[in-house]
Amino acid sequence: MKNNKTRKISKLKNDSKWAALMLTPNILGFLMFMLIPMVATFALSFTKYDMLRPPKFIGFNNYIKMFKDPIAREVTLNTIIYTVITVPTGMAISLLLAVLLDQKIALKRFYRACYFLPAISSMVVVSIVWQWIYNPEYGILNYFLSLIGINGPKWLQDARTSLVAIAIVGIWKNAGYNMLLFLSGLQGISTSYYEAATLDGASKWQQFKYVTLPLLKPTTFFIFIMSIIGSFQVFDQVMLMTKGGPGRSSSVLVHYLYQNAFQYFDMGYACALAYLLFFLVLILTLFNMRAEKKMGEIY
Amino acid sequence: MMKKKSLVSILTLSMAISLLSGCGGGSAKKNDGSTTGNSANKTTETSDGEVVEITFMGWEASPLETKAVEDGIAEFEKQNPNIKVNYTPAGKGGSDYNAKMIASAAAGSLPDVLFVASDTYRDMVARGAIEDLTDMFDSELSFNDYIESSKQIMEVDGRVYGLHSCTVSPIAYYNKDVFDAAGIKYPSADPADSWTIEEFRDIAKKLTTDDIYGCYGLENVADTLNAQLLSNNGKRYNDDYTKSIINSPENKEVLKIIKEIRTVDKSMPDATTLDSVGMTSKQMLQTGKVAILIDGSWSMQELADTGMNVGIAPMPSYARVTTTGQAHVHSISKTSKHKEEAWKFLKFLAGYDYLGAVCHTGLWMPNRISFYEEENWDKWMNPDIHGEDYKLMLNYFKNAEVDPSALQKTAKGRDIVIEETDMYFKQDQDLNQTLENIDRRINEAIQENLEDMK
Repeated sequence: MKNNKTRKISKLKNDSKWAALMLTPNILGFLMFMLIPMVATFALSFTKYDMLRPPKFIGFNNYIKMFKDPIAREVTLNTIIYTVITVPTGMAISLLLAVLLDQKIALKRFYRACYFLPAISSMVVVSIVWQWIYNPEYGILNYFLSLIGINGPKWLQDARTSLVAIAIVGIWKNAGYNMLLFLSGLQGISTSYYEAATLDGASKWQQFKYVTLPLLKPTTFFIFIMSIIGSFQVFDQVMLMTKGGPGRSSSVLVHYLYQNAFQYFDMGYACALAYLLFFLVLILTLFNMRAEKKMGEIY
Repeated sequence: MMKKKSLVSILTLSMAISLLSGCGGGSAKKNDGSTTGNSANKTTETSDGEVVEITFMGWEASPLETKAVEDGIAEFEKQNPNIKVNYTPAGKGGSDYNAKMIASAAAGSLPDVLFVASDTYRDMVARGAIEDLTDMFDSELSFNDYIESSKQIMEVDGRVYGLHSCTVSPIAYYNKDVFDAAGIKYPSADPADSWTIEEFRDIAKKLTTDDIYGCYGLENVADTLNAQLLSNNGKRYNDDYTKSIINSPENKEVLKIIKEIRTVDKSMPDATTLDSVGMTSKQMLQTGKVAILIDGSWSMQELADTGMNVGIAPMPSYARVTTTGQAHVHSISKTSKHKEEAWKFLKFLAGYDYLGAVCHTGLWMPNRISFYEEENWDKWMNPDIHGEDYKLMLNYFKNAEVDPSALQKTAKGRDIVIEETDMYFKQDQDLNQTLENIDRRINEAIQENLEDMK
C-alpha cells in the first residue's frame, strides 16, 4: 500500500516534469513577448521617454495630458465609431453568409473559399486594391454608383467618408473569417432540433430565431468579443490608405499611438495611450461577459 | 488537484527562468568570446585586422536614389580598401524612415553613419543621439564654403552635428510637348524674368483641356508650400523659431490663390486624386496629363530618365522670386564604435566623388559654393540633365532660403500643417480658422518640446 503511494507520487512528479518541459517554450514566449513588454509598457507610461535618452519618471503626467488632449479624444471617438460601424454590420454579414453557405447549394465550397480569401490576403495588398476601388474619378465603386444615378463621394479623400471607407475594408476583410466561425457553430447544432421545430410547425424564420440564434450564442459572443478587440486595434488600413487623414478624420487610437512613439519622440505618452486602449477593451470585454451571463439566464 | 496544478506552474516557471538565464549566459559568452557569426568581425579576421566594417542607413525615395548611393559607396571602398560600408536603405523616407531610426536607436543599434532628415536633425541633436562633429569639421572643412541654407541647417548653437548632404528645392517642371501643342511660349528659366503667379495661373488655365490639367503640386504642402509663402514675404516662424506665426495676410493670400487655382480656375486636380490613380504626378507630367508640375528638384533624375521633353523654371513668384532649400544631413551616431572611419566616410560623402556623382544623376544639387563656380561645373553637371535652363537657375538654388520646416522646434510641425491644410483644401475649413489652428497647435507643441528639453 505504502509502496503504491510512493510510486504514485513519483509518477506524479514525473508527469509534472514532462508537463513543465512541454509548456516551457510557450511560457517563455509569453513571458518574453507578452508579459514583460506589458509590464514595461505600464512602467514607461509613467515616464517621459523619447527612446534616445533614459526614461524620466513624471508620475501621472502622461495620463493627465491624455485627458486634456483633444486629439486623443478625437482618435478615441473615431475608434469607437469604427467599432460601432464594423462590429454589428460585420457580424450580421458573416452570419448571413454562414447561414446561406450552410444550405445545400451548388459550389458551396467554392463560395466559402471566395469569402474566406480576404482573410488570408495581406492588408498591404488589400489596401492598394481598395484605394483603386475607392478612387473618386476612376474607381470601380463610384462607377457602379454612377450606374444607378448616384454621384459617389470622394471616399478616402473626404473627411466625412474616410472613416466609413476604412470601416468597409475592415468589414470586407474579416467577414470571411467570422463566417467560418459561424459555420462551425452552425454545424455543431444537431439537426434533431430543427426536425422537432418543423414538427411543431415552426417557420424557417422561427427556426432561425428560436433554435439557431440561441444555440449559436457561445460562437456569437466569442466573435463579438474578438471583433471588438480587433476593431479597437485597427491600424494597418488606416496607415496604408489614409495615414489618418484628411485632417484627423480617419486617425484611430493605434495610429496616434504610433505617431507619438515613432514620430514625435514621446514613447511614454504612447505607452499611456496603449493602456487607455487596454482599459477600454478590458471594460468592454467584462461588460460583454456579464451580458452573456445574463443572457444565459434568460434562455 | 490544486496542488498538482500549482506544482506544475512553479516547476514550469522555474524552468523557464533557468532557461532564460541559460540563454543569457550563452549569448554573452558568444559575444565575449570570439567571432562566430558576426560578419563585421569575420571581415576583420580575413584581412588581418585591417578592414573595418561600418554600417550606413539611409532611405529609398526611389530605386534610382539607392543606386546612386550604392555607386558612391563602391567608389569609397575602392579608395579605402580597409573600410567596408554596409548600406541599408530603411523605408521610404519621411515618417517611415524616422520610425525605423528611432526604433533602432531605442534598441541601441543605430548605424555608424545615418541620414537624418533636416526636420528631425534638431531633435536628434537635442536628445544627444548624434555625435558633435564641430572640431573635426573646423579642422578639415570650410563652413563658409557651404551655401547659406545649408549653414543654417547644420549649425545648432554654434556646433555642427551632421554634414549637410546636398540641397534640394521645389521648382516647376513642364512638358514642352504640351506647351507646343497649345502654342504657348515656354516660361523663362531666368529668375530675373520668370513667371508671376498671375501669369502662371493664366498659362495653366490656357493649357487645361478635357484631358489635360494645367498644373499640379501647389497643394503638396510638405514640399512646396513654404517656398510659396516665403515668396509672398510670408513667415512661418518668428526669428528664433519659438513661435509659429503662419496666420498673416501674406500667407492667407497664398493659400487662397492655391485653392482658387483648383476650385475657380479648375486647372489643377485634387491633391490626392492623382496618386490614387496609380500614376505618380511625375508620370502624369510625362504622359502629358499634367502640363506643369511643381515638385522637388530631386525629380530631375527620374524625369530625365524617362527621356521626356521636359523643361524647368523657377516657382511662380508672388512678391519676389525665391525658393526654399533643405536636405538631410549625414551624421555619426553617438554609439558608433568606428568614429574615425565614419568621419572619413562622411567627408567622402561631401566630396566630388560622391556628392558630385549624385548631383550628376540629377537627384541632388550641390550645397557648396565652390561647386557652383564655373570651373567646377563639369565635375558634377550632366548635359543630359542640366541644360542651359538649369545654368540660368544656379543662383536661384544657391541663394535659396532655408526651408522653415527644417529649423522648426517640434517634430509635430509637419503633421499639424498637413492635417489643418487638408481640412482647408479638401473640407472647406475656414482659412482663418485653419491658420489659427496651425499657430495654436504648433505653439503648444513647441512649448511642450522646450520644456522636455530643459
